[in-house]
Amino acid sequence: MSQAEATVPRRSLALSNDVLSVFYRLLAVGIICVVLSFISDAFLTTNNLLNVLRQASLVFFMASGLTLVILTGKIDLSIGATVGLSACVAATVIKATDSAMLGALVGIGVGAIVGLGNGLLVTKLRIPSFIATYGMLWVVHGITYYYMSGQSVYGFPAEFRAIGSGYFLGIPIPIYLMILFLLAGNFFTKRTTYGQQIYAIGANTVAARLSGIPVNSRLNLVFILSGAMAGLASLIYLARLNSAEGDIGETLTLPTIAAVVIGGTSLFGGVGSLFGTFIGGLILTLILNGMNLLGVSANWQPLITGLIVLLAVWLDMKTRSKTDASS
Amino acid sequence: MSDRTMGERAAGQGLSFLGRVPGVAFVLVALFAIFATLSPGFTTVPNLSNILVQSSILLLLALPMTLIIMTEGLDLSIGAVLTLASVVLATVALSTGSLSIAVLAAVAVGSAMGLLNGWIIAWPGIPPFVATLGTLSIAQGLCLLLTDGQSVVGLPDELHTVYAGYLLGLPIPIIIGAVAYALMHLLLYHTRLGTYVPALGGNREALRHAGVNDRLVLTVIYGIGGLMAGIAALLLTSRMSSAHPTAGIGMEFDAIAAVAVGGTQFERGEGWLLGTLLGVITIGVLRNGLNLLGMPSSIQVVCVGLLVILALFLDGMRRVEE
Amino acid sequence: MVTLTPSAPTESPVHQAAGGAPLLELRGISKTFPGVRALDDVSFPIWAGEIHMLCGENGAGKSSLMKVLCGAYVADAGEMFHNGGKIEIKSTLDARKLGIAVIFQEFSLIPYLSVAQNIFLGREFPGRIPGTIDRQKIRSEAARFLAMIGSDIDVDTPVHKLGVAQQQMVEIAKALSQNARVLVMDEPTSALSDTETEHLFGMMRRLKANGVAIVYISHRMAEVFLLGDRITILRDGKKVDTVLPNETSVSDLVQKMVGRKVDTIHRRGDNMKAGELALEVKGLNAPSGIADINLNVRAGEIVGLCGLVGSGRTEVARAIFGADRISSGQVTFFGKPFSGGPDEATRLGVGLIPESRKAQGLALIRSVGDNIVLAALDRLFPSRLFQPRTARKAADDMIQKLRIATPSARRAAQFLSGGNQQKVVVGKWLTADARLFIFDEPTRGIDVGAKAEVFALMYDLVEKGAAILMISSELSEIVNVCDRAYVMREGRIAGELPRDRLAEENILQLGMHHE
Repeated sequence: MSQAEATVPRRSLALSNDVLSVFYRLLAVGIICVVLSFISDAFLTTNNLLNVLRQASLVFFMASGLTLVILTGKIDLSIGATVGLSACVAATVIKATDSAMLGALVGIGVGAIVGLGNGLLVTKLRIPSFIATYGMLWVVHGITYYYMSGQSVYGFPAEFRAIGSGYFLGIPIPIYLMILFLLAGNFFTKRTTYGQQIYAIGANTVAARLSGIPVNSRLNLVFILSGAMAGLASLIYLARLNSAEGDIGETLTLPTIAAVVIGGTSLFGGVGSLFGTFIGGLILTLILNGMNLLGVSANWQPLITGLIVLLAVWLDMKTRSKTDASS
Repeated sequence: MSDRTMGERAAGQGLSFLGRVPGVAFVLVALFAIFATLSPGFTTVPNLSNILVQSSILLLLALPMTLIIMTEGLDLSIGAVLTLASVVLATVALSTGSLSIAVLAAVAVGSAMGLLNGWIIAWPGIPPFVATLGTLSIAQGLCLLLTDGQSVVGLPDELHTVYAGYLLGLPIPIIIGAVAYALMHLLLYHTRLGTYVPALGGNREALRHAGVNDRLVLTVIYGIGGLMAGIAALLLTSRMSSAHPTAGIGMEFDAIAAVAVGGTQFERGEGWLLGTLLGVITIGVLRNGLNLLGMPSSIQVVCVGLLVILALFLDGMRRVEE
Repeated sequence: MVTLTPSAPTESPVHQAAGGAPLLELRGISKTFPGVRALDDVSFPIWAGEIHMLCGENGAGKSSLMKVLCGAYVADAGEMFHNGGKIEIKSTLDARKLGIAVIFQEFSLIPYLSVAQNIFLGREFPGRIPGTIDRQKIRSEAARFLAMIGSDIDVDTPVHKLGVAQQQMVEIAKALSQNARVLVMDEPTSALSDTETEHLFGMMRRLKANGVAIVYISHRMAEVFLLGDRITILRDGKKVDTVLPNETSVSDLVQKMVGRKVDTIHRRGDNMKAGELALEVKGLNAPSGIADINLNVRAGEIVGLCGLVGSGRTEVARAIFGADRISSGQVTFFGKPFSGGPDEATRLGVGLIPESRKAQGLALIRSVGDNIVLAALDRLFPSRLFQPRTARKAADDMIQKLRIATPSARRAAQFLSGGNQQKVVVGKWLTADARLFIFDEPTRGIDVGAKAEVFALMYDLVEKGAAILMISSELSEIVNVCDRAYVMREGRIAGELPRDRLAEENILQLGMHHE
């Protein structure tokens, strides 16, 4: 490549692409809202909109941790199962000690431990993350079922249930939590060296390692955060459902991946943002809410989620291959 | 070219065959010894035969999974496709009364799902784990829509004879498993398609340079996975004399575990079919032994997971030593 | 290759004299990638029975041309003729049908298939049962073609167990088995020993006598003049000239490749200021295949590490930097014993500029600025709070200091030219305050002007007291740039050459396999 050709000034694609991709996604949110408000009168009600946001918050908690993992170019398929185990353990602790705080800490801790297990499988045993975390999914699942042995735990103190179903100034508490974690997560990814390193690992793991970044410890960190966020999500679930069973969280993994991918985070790592994931979760929730309002049977949900994931990944790859065809 | 091939030259050359066998074979022997000691019913002929019969379904899934993993791919949907094929088989059998049409329908649906997997992985290049996670969800969704979450029961009695019957003095599932193994061996080691499997995982670019339509080959490999899931559906439905919309969920975990325990690698196209056979039997022995000891299936799953970690750990140790 | 005897004087290709059409002719071939004109209106004929040398700097378009010939790329414009008839090469299959076989530098072998299966990949003989393959025939035919080039590799060996030279032989056997009429080879001797090279040249002469056209890419002037019937020179994607070997000279050729009068690289003046010990390696052994490595580098020195491809140079660099496991031995940086990974090495002020910029040196999709501060994050932001403004300033400073040609620090690194990418990698280590730099093939894939800049940069570094260990396959670079050099052979240090004995002959002498 000659220098003269390479230095011909070109408009920086990177930035405008980022802005554009967020813009397109916000546009999608707008269009879906307009369509839904025409289709169903029930859509544009404060209650329904708050409901959508509350559901989106659940998706966001899991998806934010997963976003960090995917930014490094890895994947965590065990989040749904982790939600289940965290919820069940937290539930029994709350029942046994009557302490919401202790239960919450244990729930998040269990998630973090599962995450650490994932991290060690990936960094120490060098198992590809999609295999390691998929195996972890079933192992955690088995542990949850064994732990619960078919029982369910229900009826938690009101102070605990408030984090799932409580209101503050007329707005559900999970929405406040979501905004809090969105801001904190954004700060972590954009304004700390950890965030910079996470992006670099995803962009080129080998180069990151040869640039002195402690890749293994950062990978362990993102897996632990992913597990801990799943633990947090499990608490909100628990508080909302007011009961815990072995199969809680089973169907959550795929929608979570869908939210991240719809949000513009590349499955190949190095590209994406938590804000994108927030919007992605919102889009997904709106679609499911719309189906609900239209009276579509819940039996359709797995089929539609599967199609959405494939479509989102396909669209993402198409736009990406257009922008960097040169390499 | 980098200087990296150096190390490979320095590595010893003689241990190719013997060096590979012990991993899974030792684990199998060890498990066998443990269960033979702990539970008296384990070493009886009916139980051992039972292990092989029960392993036949897993073998049908693990064989194509070996090929798929050798292409640096993965099929997470194979359990859900098995379930879908089983539900289709039962539904068609009930509505037409013909078992052969039902089996054909099941195999057709399985193959179609497999080809769908291959197509979205080969052409747009969607990473295999997301692609098959998507089709997993689609297959589950179709199961739900077909059955509304209910079991399909009232199937003809002759169906049960497939799983429980004997041919030439051998249980039919064992015969089906053996034939499938022989065919897959022939496919992998004695056909063009099979030759291209390690090439897909090892150096896809080179395969394309050799004028091979690598995408088509990849699609066919995933299609074979779906086809085998369709055949496995016959055994599964026959075993239960009914179809459940959740029956085969998670079977892909055992299949992947069997392949991994058997010593096939997730990278560079290294793999072997005999290892998978041993892996399937190892998992069969593990599950059967734990069953006899009264362990619930939830604990069995955890043990399978631990077994895989142990196998990969030992494998890694051996590689480092080499 | 100094040890080679020249061939018998080459008669000019018969077909050309007879006035027939060339075996293959390119007319006006162009190929453009976003931002790069890889091939620009290239025309030249290839005659049957000739060895046609293709010369040019890295990035001149040689490999793009090869890829167009073998169907891996489809040209945007231009025509091709085969024996006078117009043809189109749209796929590798088209190329193979025309009898064009290409041996790339990066091998097209499948690690877990046997030698025999690799040779006949995609062209397996059918077996008796429909759908099966005839494994016996594949084995015996493969053995026949290997014997033809004097190789005795066992055809059942899986390729991943072969060394570089053996893999090269398999590639050649594969090309021969395709009944190639046009054989394209990209620096085939870079990893071969003397004897193997002799074998290869003998085989090429036999093929030539049988009317095969060979297109041969080489950087080694000795080979170009020894083997070539004609020499075509490419520069910046354009054909500069086609000349006959007896009508040109090395300096003439180099000038055409480079495009201006350059006296290759200026030899550095003698260096008198070697200071404290920056790197000391004692008795280093590693599973990657290196053994008993002893070397040292002082501040203010540029020390070369050379040897054939595959002799273990990169392995030594990686082991020193902590990127690969070591089994025994001691590495000391600036008097401090070191036993950690790359992160620890970075903290101690060591930087590795790896051999493959794109795969190992840069996060291509990240911006130039992000790449520049990557290794310095801990130094610039000890509180771990990232300040975009501080990072931006550090990046802008480095862009200015190294004169990196980029519209802004926000530009993704993938859009820069090779030379500027290399500067970004060096800038990354300067920003990290490195004092010992390990350069692995610092000039690979960058043009001549940029090479001079990279060397100027290195001189400036040592001038200011840094230490440099430099790996290079270009012997002229080692000779002109280094204060002294270690030569490797088969994973060991074969010898050390002080400045006064640093000459290409001595390096070759030490580095060659003696079989």
